[in-house]
Amino acid sequence: MSRAATLQIRAAAAPPKAKRSAVGRLLVAAAVIFLTLFIVLPIANVFTQALSNGFAAYWQVFFPPATDPAAHLTLFEKHQLADQAAHTWSAIRMSCGIAAVVVPLNIVFGLVAAWAVTKFRFRGRVLLVTLIDLPFSISPVIAGLVFVLWFGRGGIFGDWGTRITWPDPASLSWQGFSGHWWPFTFANSYTGIIFTPLAMVIATAFVTFPFVARALIPLMDSQGSDEELAALSLGASGWRTFRTVTLANIRWALLYGAILCTARAFGEFGAVSVVSGHIDSNDTIPLRVEKLWDGYNMQAAFSVATLLALLAVATLIIKAAVEFKTGHDEAAASAAKE
Amino acid sequence: MSIEVRQISKSYGSFQALNDVSLKVESGELVALLGPSGSGKTTLLRIIAGIEAPDPGGKILFDAADVSATALGERRIGFVFQHYALFKHMSVFENIAFGLRSKPWRQRPSNAAIKAKVEELLALVQLQNFARRYPAQLSGGQRQRVALARALAVEPQVLLLDEPFGALDATVRRELRRWLRKLHERIRVTTLFVTHDQEEALEVADRIALMNLGKIEQFGPPEEVYERPANPFVYGFLGSYNLFHARHDGAGRGQGETPPTFVRPHDVEISRDNADGLGIAAKVTHVGFAGAAVNVELLRLDDQQHVDAALTIQTYRDLALKAGDQVFMRLRNPHSFYEDYAI
Amino acid sequence: MARANRVIPGLPLTLGYTLFYLSLFVLLPLAGLVIKTTQLSPREFYATLADPVVVAAFQLTFGASALAAAINGVFGLTVAWVLVREPFFGRRIFDALIDFPFALPTAVAGITFSNLYLADGWIGGFGEHASAFLNRLAGQLGHPNPLPEGALSWLDFPYSNTNVGIVIVLVFVGLPFVVRSLQPVLQDWDPEYEQAAYSLGAGGATTFRRVIFPALFPAWLSGVALSFARAIGEYGSVIFIASNIPGKSQIVPLQIVIKLDEFEPAQATAIGVVLLFFSLLILLAINGIEYWSRHRSQAV
Repeated sequence: MSRAATLQIRAAAAPPKAKRSAVGRLLVAAAVIFLTLFIVLPIANVFTQALSNGFAAYWQVFFPPATDPAAHLTLFEKHQLADQAAHTWSAIRMSCGIAAVVVPLNIVFGLVAAWAVTKFRFRGRVLLVTLIDLPFSISPVIAGLVFVLWFGRGGIFGDWGTRITWPDPASLSWQGFSGHWWPFTFANSYTGIIFTPLAMVIATAFVTFPFVARALIPLMDSQGSDEELAALSLGASGWRTFRTVTLANIRWALLYGAILCTARAFGEFGAVSVVSGHIDSNDTIPLRVEKLWDGYNMQAAFSVATLLALLAVATLIIKAAVEFKTGHDEAAASAAKE
Repeated sequence: MSIEVRQISKSYGSFQALNDVSLKVESGELVALLGPSGSGKTTLLRIIAGIEAPDPGGKILFDAADVSATALGERRIGFVFQHYALFKHMSVFENIAFGLRSKPWRQRPSNAAIKAKVEELLALVQLQNFARRYPAQLSGGQRQRVALARALAVEPQVLLLDEPFGALDATVRRELRRWLRKLHERIRVTTLFVTHDQEEALEVADRIALMNLGKIEQFGPPEEVYERPANPFVYGFLGSYNLFHARHDGAGRGQGETPPTFVRPHDVEISRDNADGLGIAAKVTHVGFAGAAVNVELLRLDDQQHVDAALTIQTYRDLALKAGDQVFMRLRNPHSFYEDYAI
Repeated sequence: MARANRVIPGLPLTLGYTLFYLSLFVLLPLAGLVIKTTQLSPREFYATLADPVVVAAFQLTFGASALAAAINGVFGLTVAWVLVREPFFGRRIFDALIDFPFALPTAVAGITFSNLYLADGWIGGFGEHASAFLNRLAGQLGHPNPLPEGALSWLDFPYSNTNVGIVIVLVFVGLPFVVRSLQPVLQDWDPEYEQAAYSLGAGGATTFRRVIFPALFPAWLSGVALSFARAIGEYGSVIFIASNIPGKSQIVPLQIVIKLDEFEPAQATAIGVVLLFFSLLILLAINGIEYWSRHRSQAV
């Protein structure tokens, strides 16, 4: 290329480049304002509203001044606060209980499904991946609806789901061996499935079903199977290969998937709302937030919401850490291949 | 341990990766599977290892024992992957010890025995001071050697290497292949390695199996494959060449339906005089200096055909060639293939 | 990739368990919806869907979702571009914040947005807050209360309990889909293509329209479609900010909940199956877009 032509290209390239930085500044401003309005302000508002009556009021939402000789509260107010707090704690316990059942189930499923889908090629594999993603694209209300249809009154197979009786595992207690071959008993039992914690567990499992598998599949796909084959060629068993090679390579993604699954299990609203039957003892944290909000108890609603907001913040922090960690590993791996 | 491959075929859908391949590698041999990409050499290696299954009908024998149905982990092979597949989260020590620790507990050596064995292997691959490092902290050549040590730890009957030097730069490659040759002389494990680099195969291997389009074209020692190529493909794959379609006086064959003749550039001799009268008059069109050799492009004056010659730098200096000079060339060592000379 | 069907162990076990669990928790429940639908008479089905309140709910859901997806299409592209291409202070923090709508439970999003856009909220009463602040500032400087009551009321955005509020929360829940679809493509995008266009004399706008956007289009479209799909199913955040008046401001998922509360599972099923149908249609379209873009990039 002649020098004149080179110069011409430089000249042609220069002006838009200079202009672009002005446009760039405009774009940055637009993006920052947009993100501030739509993300930063709403988050900040959660905490501001929660603390709008001071930290003491925030604290009292969870720890009512039952023994505190705070003189400015009437006995009725104290009683009301204690009652509210008891409900809130019951909701927290319910959410933790649901997550404790659902998250391990979905972790096992995610690992197994990711192994099946990434280590083998079979007919219908792409369809299977799409089906695993399905709950993402379905309204949580529909997730609730389908379980009402299965188990509820006027459901698909009549009312059997409302008559079935099952013991409450949380009420497991010791009755000793005298006169029994089985030393445990259940103090409570439930009748029906819908509007009980069991339905809430099932609905939550449906909604949070893809998270772990989704975090693992792309990573395991990109890692290929060479390390597993190397382990097998060295005489390791399939289980040992999975445990020492695969699991070690995906541990960060697994952690992230598990955290996302947990966050979603705690935060699920639509599906759980439909199957909870608005019964107070069935409230989870988000349902508790709704009840407080509907009762015009805004400060308390936001205070309980801070628990979920903090969980969301923790999720994002762990995500950033995991990305940093895997990015690090990947950079090292790609440097290795060069 | 000898390896015998009997009538192995493998197809992926409509693509025939291997077509009725048979091969026998003697115990203690170092054999190269050489061929262009897509020739089926890696597939053959993976089938021998047990990583892939051949189409039904073929057989793999290790010392006359049929291992076709034996699982990967029980074939007692050492496999070195092209990108090494080192366990990223384990130290060099743990990588090498992995196979020993994977043995059923009855056969598993004690920790002290494992440590001794790993140290011995580290010494063998000259990485004594790297036991605590992680794969990401090693250079490509060091990783290659760790992968080899890891494969050797379980005392395989057969060592299989997939493009062992493919991911390394030129100087490290040269160094490592000499090292591999020496290592093999020491441990004498039957070894097969895949390569697409003919120079590597010629230098390292006891025998070369040259593959093309899912078939073995020729199997023999490097000298034989190079000096007496079975067909034009083998000749062409092992080096550059000139192709003469018409008669040439040097070979002294009759005219007419003569098959084409192949001559390597370094077998084209150039001289200034034509004392014996057998030289072909040609004009130098270009002189390319390529370090140890000098590539000279010639134009035959009789039929205007282009010919490439490679001279040693000494000959080049003696002749003092430059573009435009008129010279005489003689062809040494011509090859003709009487059948199937399409290339 | 290696075809290692035979070598790596565990195919029957893992595939079997995957199919079992998938069937138990996803396919079987969804099959229930289909079975229940087949039990409905066509008249019942039609009567449910022809109800003006239900029709209005569908119109609102699809209209608000489309509008929110369109807004996300524009701002999501801007945000993704800025996060990848324009280094600025705090970029990494903003980048991490993009996932917030994924992580934040919808109920929390609902109450905080609703609260922000109330008449006395930070945004709903922005004019009022601003004039109070300015008056206080002026008072400190010796000019008490220069702004009369309501002078800045044009800066109020009291959208709680309106359908504008619905669009606002749907923009929030859909934003990450567009940004996260575009970011990897933008990261792989080599600025040399733009420089080539500039060198051929194209201006910034032409370059964007003819060179950059076509390359981003498949990812952009699938991001917008994902955010639309999420919006039509969204329930938790919307019901807090909407006024939920029948025929005016009830979304489709709320209609389903109401029908269930009224013990009308058949009607809920009819509405639910239509909503599910649209969700699956969008899912299919997204898969189609991804297939098409993979094909297209392979052809180059």
